[in-house]
Order: sequence, then structure tokens, then C-alpha cells
Amino acid sequence: MSRLTQSFLVRTAVIAATSLLFVPLGALGQTAAAPASSTPSSSEKTTTSGAKDRWLHVRVVSSDAKGETVRVNVPLELAEAVLPTVNHNRMHDGKVKIECAHMNDVDLKTLVEAVHNAKDGEYVTVQGRENDVRVAKQNNYLIVHVLDKSNGKTRNSQVEIKVPMKVVDALFSAGKDELDLVAALHALSGQGDMELVSVKDTDNTVRVWLDSKNVTE
Amino acid sequence: MLLLAKAALGLGGTLVLAGAYTFHEGVIRVDVDEYRDGGSHVHMWVPAAAVPMAMHLAPKRDLMHGAEHAREFLPVARAIIKEMKKYPDAEFVEVLDGADHVRIRTHDGKLQIDVDEPGEKVHVLCPLSTIDDVTRELEANAHADAPSA
Repeated sequence: MSRLTQSFLVRTAVIAATSLLFVPLGALGQTAAAPASSTPSSSEKTTTSGAKDRWLHVRVVSSDAKGETVRVNVPLELAEAVLPTVNHNRMHDGKVKIECAHMNDVDLKTLVEAVHNAKDGEYVTVQGRENDVRVAKQNNYLIVHVLDKSNGKTRNSQVEIKVPMKVVDALFSAGKDELDLVAALHALSGQGDMELVSVKDTDNTVRVWLDSKNVTE
Repeated sequence: MLLLAKAALGLGGTLVLAGAYTFHEGVIRVDVDEYRDGGSHVHMWVPAAAVPMAMHLAPKRDLMHGAEHAREFLPVARAIIKEMKKYPDAEFVEVLDGADHVRIRTHDGKLQIDVDEPGEKVHVLCPLSTIDDVTRELEANAHADAPSA
């Protein structure tokens, strides 16, 4: 082997060895290149979840000077998988015990069954000095509207709940004294994009809704 | 000279293999900055693969003690991590309160927790697979500790 070829081979081997040494460091650098705090805020991000993923979103916006905002995004599939593992107090196997199911001699399950079988219509309408309450069944949705006027005309609080009857049925499907949360979530995952709960008062705005995006608006 | 080249190549190759194995699961990153007199600044990078290895080396009694305390929450933690792996880039919780900002999200298959408040910043980044390994190991130790039926 000529002296020139030998020198060339040595140099190539040393360069190759040095390059190989830097490969893991480069990979580490790439990992580090995305610092923990450099990612954009949720409001700037677009969705990356699959089309079939259903997300439950909760947003609480406080109207105080600091403008506290809480955003929670939970995939329904995750909630369905995690809830059965929680066995604490009244929670077990994705169900929650409600020992007061016979509230004031009213059997909740029977009541729900009766509402399920009944035609659309307004079931409860209360118009009082302090509250307006409306409970209705409309296009297979259970609708509850409450307007609290007790704090004066300018400080009204308004609650609007709209739940598909399928979800209500699933919730009460477990037994007399139990709510089946997993079954309710499963029923909810089959629904389209919709707003479930809206609460507006002078201090806070709360919104719970369902869609296919993994970030809040 | 040729011998030196061969040795360099061998050493380089070994180091690459060792580096690739050490970092194949990513890095656990913890950054804590307290912007005040005497405030601590901690910046820690740990290869994620080292954690399960360290758990194997940890005293069994201490692991069982820790697992016993966490026994009730381990199945929940495992289920959450298992499901979170399906959402490698997602925002789960965000709290904004004036200048305070807390975020819990997954980014590139890692659990990322960011806490920013005036005078203090905490950022934690940990691969979900590492948390899964840790909970699995703790669960195994919790079961080892459980009295046989």
C-alpha cells in the first residue's frame, strides 16, 4: 500500500469515527432544539388529531381583572379508558353510586324512562321572581334552561344544558342507584359537534362542548 | 498508523452504539429558574433509558414502599399514559391567570408541563414511554408486596 493511500485511509477512518461520535449528539441537539416553552399557545395551534377522535372541551373564563382562563381538552376515548380504573369512594368500574336516586320518593330511572318514551314538549316551566326554569324534550335532546334573577336584573346568571337523550339513557342504564359514566361518554362519542353546557354570569363564563379538534378555539 | 485508524473507528463505533442506546428513548428535561436573590437555576438532562435501569438498581424495599403508597393511583396513571400515547401532540390543560401560565400537553410523544409565573419558570419534558415504564415497574413492586390470597 502506497504511503499516500495509507494516509488517505487513516484520514478517512478518523473523519468517519469523529462523524459517528457526533451523530448521537446531533440527535440530542434536535431534541433540545424544541425547548419546553417554545411551542405555540393552544389558541395558535391547529388540530392534529384524527377525524374520528372526539374531544370534550371545558372552558372557564373569569371576568375579573386578571381574566383567569381555564381550558381543558379531553379525548372521549381517553376518558372512557381511564374512568373504569378509578375505584375511589363512590366511583367504581366507570360508574358512580348515587344513593339519593329515590330523591323525595321520585325514582329517577323511571322518570328518565318516562321522558324517553314521551313525545317532544315542555315538561317543566317555572317563571318566578328569582328564577325561570324550563325543562323540555326536543328532537331527542333533553334541554334545561335556568335563569337566575336573584342577584338583580344586571347580575342575571343563565344556565343552558342540552344533552342528547341517548346520553341520558346511557347514563341511567347501569341500575337504580348508579350512573354509568362510561356508557354516557360512549353514547356521547357518537354525537356530532355540539354545545352541551353554557353558563353565563357576571363572574364567569363556562362552556362545555364536543368536537373533533384537540385544541380550544 | 493504520492500527490507530482502526482503533479510532472501533472506539467511535462503540461510542455511537452506546450513545444511540442511551438516547433512543429521548431525554428527560427539567428546567427550574427562580429569578430572585439566591434563587435556584436547575437545568437537568437525563437520558430516559437510564430511568428504568436506575429503578432496577434501586433498593427493592424502597421501591416497594413507594409502590405501596401509589398503589391506588398506579392503574389510573398507567391508563392515562397509555391513552396519551395515542395523542402525541395535544393540549390537555391550559390555565391563564394574569401573568401566570400553566400548560399540560403532549409534544412529540413526551409529556410537557410548563409553569410560567413572574419570578419563576418550571419546564418538565418526559417521554411518555418512560413514565409508562416507571408506573409498570412500580405496579410490579406493588404486586410483589401484596399478600398472596
